[in-house]
Amino acid sequence: MNAEPMLAMSPEPATLDVTGLSITYGAGPQGLKAVRDVSFRIAPGEAYGLIGESGSGKSTIAYAVLRHVPAGTVSGRILLNGQDVMAMSPQTLAGIRGRVVSMIYQDPMSALNPAIRVGEQIAEVIRQHRRGDRASAWARSVALLGQVQLPLPAEIAHRYPHQLSGGQQQRVVIAMALACDPELLVMDEPTTGLDVTTEAVILDLINDLRHALGVAVLFISHNMGVVAQVCDRVGVLYAGQLVEEGSTAQVLRAPRHPYTIGLMNALPTIDRAADRLVDIPGRLPDLRVVPPGCVFAPRCAAVQDICHAVMPTLEPVGTGHDSRCHERDRLERLLPAVAPATASDAPLPAKADGGRPLLQIVGIERSFGRAPMLALPFLRRRTPVRAVDDVTLDIAPGQTLAVVGESGSGKSTLARCVAGLLRPDRGDIRLENQVLSPLVQQRTRPQQRALQFIFQNPDAALNPHWTVERIVGRPLQLYGGIARGAALRARVVALLEATKLGERYLERYPHEMSGGEKQRVSIARAFAGDPRLVVCDEPTSALDISVQAAILNQLRDLQQRHGTSYLFISHDLGVVRHIAHRVAIMRHGRIVEAGTPAQVFGAPQHPYTQALIAAIPTLEPKRLRDGTAGRLRTADGMIDA
Amino acid sequence: MIALTFILRRCVMLVLVLVAVSVLTFGIVNVLPGDVATAVLGDMASPEMVEAVRERMGLDRPLDARYLEWVGGVLHGDFGRSLQHGQPIAPMLLGRLGNSAILGLITLGIAAPLSIALGVLAALRPGHLLDRAISSFAVGAHAMPEYVIGLLAILCFSIWLPLLPGSSLMDPNENPLNRPEALVLPVGVLVIGMLAVISQVTRAGMIQALGSPYVRTATLKGLPRWKVVLKHALPNVLPPTVTEIGMYCGYVIGGLVVVETLFSYAGLGQMMTNAVSYRDIPTIQAGVLVVAAAYGIGNLLADVAALLLNPRLRG
Repeated sequence: MNAEPMLAMSPEPATLDVTGLSITYGAGPQGLKAVRDVSFRIAPGEAYGLIGESGSGKSTIAYAVLRHVPAGTVSGRILLNGQDVMAMSPQTLAGIRGRVVSMIYQDPMSALNPAIRVGEQIAEVIRQHRRGDRASAWARSVALLGQVQLPLPAEIAHRYPHQLSGGQQQRVVIAMALACDPELLVMDEPTTGLDVTTEAVILDLINDLRHALGVAVLFISHNMGVVAQVCDRVGVLYAGQLVEEGSTAQVLRAPRHPYTIGLMNALPTIDRAADRLVDIPGRLPDLRVVPPGCVFAPRCAAVQDICHAVMPTLEPVGTGHDSRCHERDRLERLLPAVAPATASDAPLPAKADGGRPLLQIVGIERSFGRAPMLALPFLRRRTPVRAVDDVTLDIAPGQTLAVVGESGSGKSTLARCVAGLLRPDRGDIRLENQVLSPLVQQRTRPQQRALQFIFQNPDAALNPHWTVERIVGRPLQLYGGIARGAALRARVVALLEATKLGERYLERYPHEMSGGEKQRVSIARAFAGDPRLVVCDEPTSALDISVQAAILNQLRDLQQRHGTSYLFISHDLGVVRHIAHRVAIMRHGRIVEAGTPAQVFGAPQHPYTQALIAAIPTLEPKRLRDGTAGRLRTADGMIDA
Repeated sequence: MIALTFILRRCVMLVLVLVAVSVLTFGIVNVLPGDVATAVLGDMASPEMVEAVRERMGLDRPLDARYLEWVGGVLHGDFGRSLQHGQPIAPMLLGRLGNSAILGLITLGIAAPLSIALGVLAALRPGHLLDRAISSFAVGAHAMPEYVIGLLAILCFSIWLPLLPGSSLMDPNENPLNRPEALVLPVGVLVIGMLAVISQVTRAGMIQALGSPYVRTATLKGLPRWKVVLKHALPNVLPPTVTEIGMYCGYVIGGLVVVETLFSYAGLGQMMTNAVSYRDIPTIQAGVLVVAAAYGIGNLLADVAALLLNPRLRG
């Protein structure tokens, strides 16, 4: 009842009006203050992006818009079309969910019900909110599947989620969200789990639908490039607070908050030369005990005395552009200048390229799904999949070879063959012209020591029951012959200092550290034996951008100090641009193109490489949706097939 | 297609298991000290008499020849003669099997839906009163063996409150369905034992499903709670539960032995207990083989049902 006059009072009706939203997990003074006093408005048809790293509270806000905060306490006001979401009865709430506001999720595979045909999952929303009969709801469901550009929608509607590719699943989720012509779409990292070419077509689809239907969008992402492709306005979240807000161009091209500026400098892109990334030191504050001053002060490069004492408010720095910073008008003078890419700094200084390659990968092949060991009757022989198909590559001493590919390209299988974790069906791995045994346990101690591994997920790669001292000390004992005692501890401390962790981490367990810290421990462990080559399998893809920059810098420093070679596996072309001396593009188990980063990124020859590069969401204004999209759609079709 | 190969493969496995079971039972019984001849004659028999009986029963022939002969007979429906009754085993076995099947199937028919319903109810609000009541009951019932529950049931319902017969006292050839009142207590005891296990399996699966992203999707579509639970969560909980029910078949058969003995119900379990105490070796062998087959078929049916309920496995 209160909602009506409020709608009449507001100057322009907003589709979503969030005022003073705070969300706390847990009770009392020890509660985790995940979101604090966040306010923003989304006009009809507008796309608003919330950018933030892990722990910023962005997903919590997204779900709060649909009042889905299972464990948290919410205060503040969320008006959807002038109606207070927090004050609704359960029936009213169910009536707007899926009809006025609907959601698109990060992981479409788990968001769809595995036991129900996708057509029915869409049709039931229509029946729920529109009271149509079964046949008409099904017909609309098929029409929606066509609208999200799925081929043969009538046939797809009968499938189960597991029978679709990731991109197709996300199209189904989008069709489901559009089923009742909602006025607001909430998208929680809708392309994060997808390959870059699939991501590009899904973003195109979202833009097409948004303009065709005039639906407002709340877009949650950690990826600034993706946000730039979709959003009209952007809010930057840090530790549960909005620190900057403005138009996409203002915030992403001319940021006025030290955190946003830091994020931009930490972002690896393929068009910037291989200059040093600037990381943001430190970590998120403890959100149980929020400091009195600016939450970003402990990590800020422009910090002043006032910042620790007084919390700044969001103040305008331009038309429609706000920043929560005391020094918002003096940042240019206070922040250290980012060194521009100079000829001397880039490309990566490399050791002499002339000599013999350190590591040779010769004709490696590996298939999966071979005939089972026990030939039981009625067991069908599945056709084997060639994950790695005749790959030959060299890595020079002190250099980085990056192998780039999308999911299923075979890049991780190749890394595992090199590391001796998988036995190749055919081919050799040669270290300094010496053929290595296919499996790591058959290799000699010096060979094992020379070739180390850094895994993607440090959580799974570190023993949760061991202290850092024991984790890093183990290879020292194994390869270095340092048995125990003070000498061992001194070496461990030296390694921890080299990875910017230091002595105070000795007694810590993995669960007591952040993701970035854990990955530094993995690096320290890999370097403990003073290896010649380190296989890095997506070492930063589980990390936030600011932490990723620090880890990449760390890897470059260690390489220059020790002359170590890297086999660097990644799906991220921007990251590769910053770390690689040579790049190999992998697809369907084969290397389709290889060369220096300048060659591969500057003048890509293979159409697949061109499609990959075109698909990267950049900070540039939205791409023209004709030529590029057409080419990408072909790539998507090939991948989805 | 995948389903069909799966079923065919499981049938082949079942046959292999039955062959192994037959070899084992036949082998073990024949290796144990005191063979059939001693069992027939008793401890007082002279060695000459034993030898004569052994020869008459063909026990002096090699083990493998005897096994093949026995298996040949079984394949033709001839399980040999009971030592206790001196009559062919097959007809008796058939009647007993029928009686046990009636008891087992009624139990399954009541307990399976009931335990799933209780598990779902408990999972809706974990930790609340209803969940605690259901779960305490389940844990308590699970901790008590059938004979304790059975004796308590007899005490309550046929001695203190003489409502139901505490013993079936039935003729082996009588159809138990003609006296339904005699079935109530045995079925009740078996149902309680099964509820204890299956309701907790359902509860655990349901709690997991209710916390899953697809249930969140269904909720945020605006579907009412009952639809979210019954249409979105339950179909994903049923396949593992049905598999669990299949595994439970073995437990039901074990429970049958106890319950049939307790209530003097003329089923397979009672026949086996009698055969063991009389050292009626051919009957034991036949019984074990039939029980193994029943268990295997029960599991197979459960797996096929789980397969049909799960689109990911259906292919």
